[in-house]
Order: sequence, then structure tokens, then C-alpha cells
Amino acid sequence: MNALGIIFANIYDSSLGELTNKRTMASLPYGGRYRQIDFSLSNMSNAGIRHIGIMSLYKYQSLMNHIGSGQEWDLELEEGGLEFLTPYSTSRNGSFRGKLEALSSVIVFLEEAQEDFVVLADSGVLCNIDLEKVLEAHIASGKDVTVVTKDGIADGKKPLSLAIRLDKKGEVADIAVDYTAGAGYLASTGIFVLRRDLLIHYVQENVARNLYRFERDFILQYFNQKEITVGVYQFEGLALFNESTLEYYRNNLALTNPEIQAGLFSAGRTIYTKVRNQVPVYYGENSDINECIISDGSVLEGTAEHSVFFRHVSLKEGATVKNSIIMNDCVIGEGAYVENAILDKEVVVRAGSRLVGAPENPVMVKKGEVV
Amino acid sequence: MYFQKKRCIAMLLAGGQGSRLKILTENTAKPAVPFGGKYRIIDFPLSNCVNSGIDTVGILTQYQPLELNEYIGNGQPWGLNKSHCCAQVLPPYARSKKSEWYKGTANAIYQNIPFIERFDPDNVLILSGDHIYRMDYAAMLTHHEKAGADCTIAVRTVPMEEASRFGIMNTNPDGSIYEFEEKPPKPKSNNASMGIYIFRWSVLKKFLTEDEADPTSENDFGKNVIPALLNSGHKLWAYDFEGYWKDVGTIDSLWEANMDLLGTAPNFDIRSADKKISARNYALPSTYVAKQAKTVDSLIAEGGVIQGSVKHSVISNGCAIGEGAQVEDSVLMPGVTVEPGAIIRHAIIGEGTRICKGAIIGGAFGLGERKKISVVGKNETIEANAVVAPGEVR
Repeated sequence: MNALGIIFANIYDSSLGELTNKRTMASLPYGGRYRQIDFSLSNMSNAGIRHIGIMSLYKYQSLMNHIGSGQEWDLELEEGGLEFLTPYSTSRNGSFRGKLEALSSVIVFLEEAQEDFVVLADSGVLCNIDLEKVLEAHIASGKDVTVVTKDGIADGKKPLSLAIRLDKKGEVADIAVDYTAGAGYLASTGIFVLRRDLLIHYVQENVARNLYRFERDFILQYFNQKEITVGVYQFEGLALFNESTLEYYRNNLALTNPEIQAGLFSAGRTIYTKVRNQVPVYYGENSDINECIISDGSVLEGTAEHSVFFRHVSLKEGATVKNSIIMNDCVIGEGAYVENAILDKEVVVRAGSRLVGAPENPVMVKKGEVV
Repeated sequence: MYFQKKRCIAMLLAGGQGSRLKILTENTAKPAVPFGGKYRIIDFPLSNCVNSGIDTVGILTQYQPLELNEYIGNGQPWGLNKSHCCAQVLPPYARSKKSEWYKGTANAIYQNIPFIERFDPDNVLILSGDHIYRMDYAAMLTHHEKAGADCTIAVRTVPMEEASRFGIMNTNPDGSIYEFEEKPPKPKSNNASMGIYIFRWSVLKKFLTEDEADPTSENDFGKNVIPALLNSGHKLWAYDFEGYWKDVGTIDSLWEANMDLLGTAPNFDIRSADKKISARNYALPSTYVAKQAKTVDSLIAEGGVIQGSVKHSVISNGCAIGEGAQVEDSVLMPGVTVEPGAIIRHAIIGEGTRICKGAIIGGAFGLGERKKISVVGKNETIEANAVVAPGEVR
């Protein structure tokens, strides 16, 4: 495919609180065995994009560990393949302020690429999308920029980084940025397609004027000034927005719904991830597991209901887990009770402990803690 | 390519047909038969090599090699794709003067002398690809070198009454072998050969060459090479192995070995963290266990959708078990679909097979009654409400 891919690993980290304290949004574990970036990376790889830059501004150690050489996504290539773009800061206060500024610091990567188009993606929206179709539609539309959008997300409550309202002819009528747009708006999935030379031009122009926000300073402003034309590609499939802790919690548990599972994993395109040598799960003689997502390496001897278990979890006899997300290497001790909780990796719940959160406000336990 | 001299390389005999596994090996070499939910039989000797620090493995294939070649690939899942180590599949090949299939186990190694010579090894470890066990070959190698042996043979103690089914090594008190008897009617001891040999390469090379020159030889390690070494006064030692070991050459033993993985304290603990068994992994989603499902005393691998009841069974990657279906005391190989209401008991179901609604496979047995394992082959479809009797192979 004649496109370069760029994935932003951590533009909206702060919205997920403790979950992204020591990792990027991209490396946030999802669905038992994935990291959020697996979706963007697999979408690009499945579309035949063979040159991808991962833009990671900070806390990228766990991400690099996960991605490695990129071989799981068939991106370990002699030419092109995967590149980690870890831009050094050039701004005065030493931190990055937005995608445009980040892109300007790796402008050489953009300039040296051969592809005519660029596909940009974030790590907070999970979907299984055919990007080849998106590029075809972009070229056919003749627009400068195509925004991949999802209907039904804007509800007047959820803040959206970019929301678009169409007129009756399907042309973009209004663009809103950082706005709790109502039901008439389409939400941006963070996937954009545009020509590479156009992107380079506008990145340089914006940054020269001390403007750094891709959605606000580029898409919105240039559209309003009629400098660029913007079109949308309405994605019909499933898109999960994991942009707050509660959304993250709900969208994990949503996988216990077969329709949601099918929407993410059965679209005829594989979602790749780092594979590990883990033993199949052992379900004990007294175990009682219902409505759960279960991952390799676990030994389950207790009771679990409507929960997501990552790899190598130990659920001891008499322990109960309900409506919870249990990440890698956790141990739930004998007789412990866990409900409405998110346990980060390597958490130990002592035998007999109780850990109960509210459905709207799950209790969050940090990596490696003993409770 | 630059070849580094090796202390020991392994040659894994993976060409056997495994005809006693019937339809399960109709289109698959025995070492490629799925085992334990996500493994193939060959993962065990291969992982043992890696865990023992043996990083060069020649894999001798002959019968139905396609699947095995594909599975081994470049050896990456076992970490055997680095500059100075490899997992090399070695099929028989045509030569300028003559070309032939591997005539026997010894001939298979003989035909690959050029491969072995590239590594200039001190020792060669001969393995077979049809046993389930964990073993530290490094300890055996140390034992072999310390004893100054020309050949060391791993042995395990079998019950005396079964000894006549095995190749028996009769040893002196110091562990040296004075006699080898292949399936003796009246065994003198119960040290059974496990088919695992370490040879001093210079000695093995000489004997393989002599064996090849002998037109009456069957070119077999057990029948020809080992006796020849003994008769010529070479130093052969037995190496005692204790621990789980199972030849999975028959339907019953394959089923039993799978069942041995189950329980809180299993006979063979693949869950234990040390000496991990590696396998080729696929990007399958996590398994979904539905609300009405029951999953008890079972191993279930990734990519599964479990809506029915699973008891005391091994369920491999990517199996779907429909609502109201029951699977008990059975082994489902990868990608099996069990439709709602079907019942599977005491059975092995081959890869990619579909058991349609209401079909009944196998049966239950009374206490002490000999279990007859039903088998359904690869990519079969068992029609709705069909019955496969206990012990039937289809």
C-alpha cells in the first residue's frame, strides 16, 4: 500500500490516570492478551503498510519491550518496517505539546519516506478496520484530509478531541474540537489520511507559528479558513473508545459479549500481538468460571463471573472475582473476594481479603501491590 | 556461513509414520501430532534440547513432512534461529550417483554425515520424536564425558513383567553395559532403553560407515549399531532417568499422556515454571467461557469459545464447544467444533473436525472396565445425531 503509517503512542495518556503512570496508552493491556497498539499496528500491517513510525514521547520502555523487532506484525523487514520515533524535545519547557510539534521533530522521517500518503492513528480507539478501503475512498474523494469517524459515540457528555457534523449532502458542515458534541456529530477515531507532502508542508507552517495541535490548529483552523478540504470515512464496524478509566473498564468487560468479540476479532483480519510461551489454562476440579475471558498460563481453582483474566493469573480455591479486570501474573488468594476492580500486573490479593469497587467507579490497584 | 565447533549436537529422528496412531497420522508425521492443548509431540525433545543448552538440532523427516516442516519453520519459536545455532529439517535427498529414502534410523544419520561434520562435534545426541518427557540432556552429556564412554544410553526402570516389550540393557554395578537384548523373552534386568543415545562422534561415524557397507544390516540403531559397538569392546554406559516419560505411539498411550496433564497434582506437570516446553504460538484471542458453560478439571488453550460442559479433558487452540454439548475424558485437537447438544466421551478428535448437533462419540465405562478410546480423524464431519461407538476409529 502506498502509504506510510504513523502511530501516536501517548497523546492522551493523562486521561487514564494510574493505568498510564508507567506506560503509554499504546502499551496499555487490553482483552486478556493484547496491548492497545496491537489494533492500530495490525490494521496497518493487514492493509499492506510496510513502513510504520511509532511516535512515543515518554514512558516507552514497556512499549518497546512489547513491540521488539515487530516480527509478530510481519514488520521485521530489510527495508521500511518499524521505526521507533522518540523525538527529543525542542520546546522551551522540555515537553511536547501536540502531534504537530512531535511530527516536526521527526520531519526527516517524513521527508525521507517514499510513500505518497500518510495514515495517522492513535492508540486510544480500538477497531478492526480495512485501511486499504479508507485510502481508496480518500483518493476517490479528492479531499485533502480524510478523517475516519464513528457514529453513535457523541452523546453530549463524552469530550471528543474532534467531532464532525455533516450536511445533507454528506459534506463536512462543522468541525468541533475538544467538545462534548451531541448526537448529531460523528466522533473522530483518530485515524487520518492525507498526502505526505501536504502533511510536511502544514507541520512546518504550523510549528513556525508556534501552533502544535493537529486537530485544533491544523484540521479545524485550516478548514475554517478554507485552506484545506476535509472529508469523512464513516467506519461501520465496531470501535471502542478507551479514553477514560471507566471506558477502559467497560470496554474490557464488553468482550464477554460475543458480538463485541466478533466485531474486534472476526472481521477476517487477524489482530496480532506478542506471543508468549504459556501453558494452556488449567480449570480446577472445583472451579466455576462463567462469562469470562481467559488467557494462557492461568490456573483457575476459584469462582469467576463476568471478568477478564490476562495471562498467568492464579485464582485460588474459594476465591471469587466478579466484574473485574485481572492483569498478568496476579494472584487472588484463597477465599478472597474481588468485585468491580482493575488489578494491574502482578497484584497479590491476600487470602481472605475483600476488594470491592462501585460499577461506576471500579477500584484500581497499582502494579505489584499486595492488598 | 561460519560454523562453530560444538561439544554436542542433536539429531532428532522424526521420519516415522506412527501407523499405530491410525488416522491421526494418515497425513501427519507422528512428531507433528498435536498434544496437550497447544503443543506438538516434537516440542518436547526440541524444548529439552534448548533447555539443555544444545542449540543445533538436525530434524530428520521422511513421512508426510509438509506439516512438520511448516511447524518447525526457521526454529524461531524455540530460539534456534540465531547465527550459531539452528533447527535444520533434513529430508532424504538425491545424490549424483544414487538417491534413496532413509532405510533405517542408522542410515538416516549416515546420509547426513556431511551436515554433522560441519559442526565438528565431539558428541552426537540421537533422539526420537515420539516421546513425552522432560529431560536434562546436559546432565547425561556430563555423565557420558566423565565416564569416557563411546556411547551412553538413557534407560528407565520398567516393571519386570513388561521388560520383554523393550530393549533391555544389562549393566555391571558401575553402570557400564555388558549386554543388550532386544525384547528378550526372559529379561535379566528391567533397564529399558529410551531410544536416547549420546555417541562420541568419531566412533559413531566409523560404525555408521561400516554398518552401511554391510548389506545384511537393517541399518537400525537398536538392532545393528549398538550390538556392533558392544561386540567390538567399546565402552557403553547406561544413564538412569527418573521422571515422567511416555511413548505416545498408540491411541491409548496418546490419550493417557494427555490425561496425565490433568489434576491438581498431575502425573506430568507441564505447568511447572522450570524447563518450559516451547511451542509455535499463534495470534489467537483469549478464550471465552460463556455464562452457561462448565469447565472442570481441564486444560483449555487459547482462541476457544466454550459454551457447553467440559470435564477432565484437554481442549486445544481454537475449539468451539456449543451450548449443551458435553466433552468428558477426551482430547480435542486444534480447531475442533462441537455443535450444541453433541456428546463426546473417551475420545480423541482430530484437527479441524466438526461434530454436528446431537452426535454421540464414544461412551462411558464402568469402574475397572478397559476404556476403549474412540477416534475421529482430521478435518472430518460427523453428521448430526450420528453415533461413533466406543473404540471406533473414523
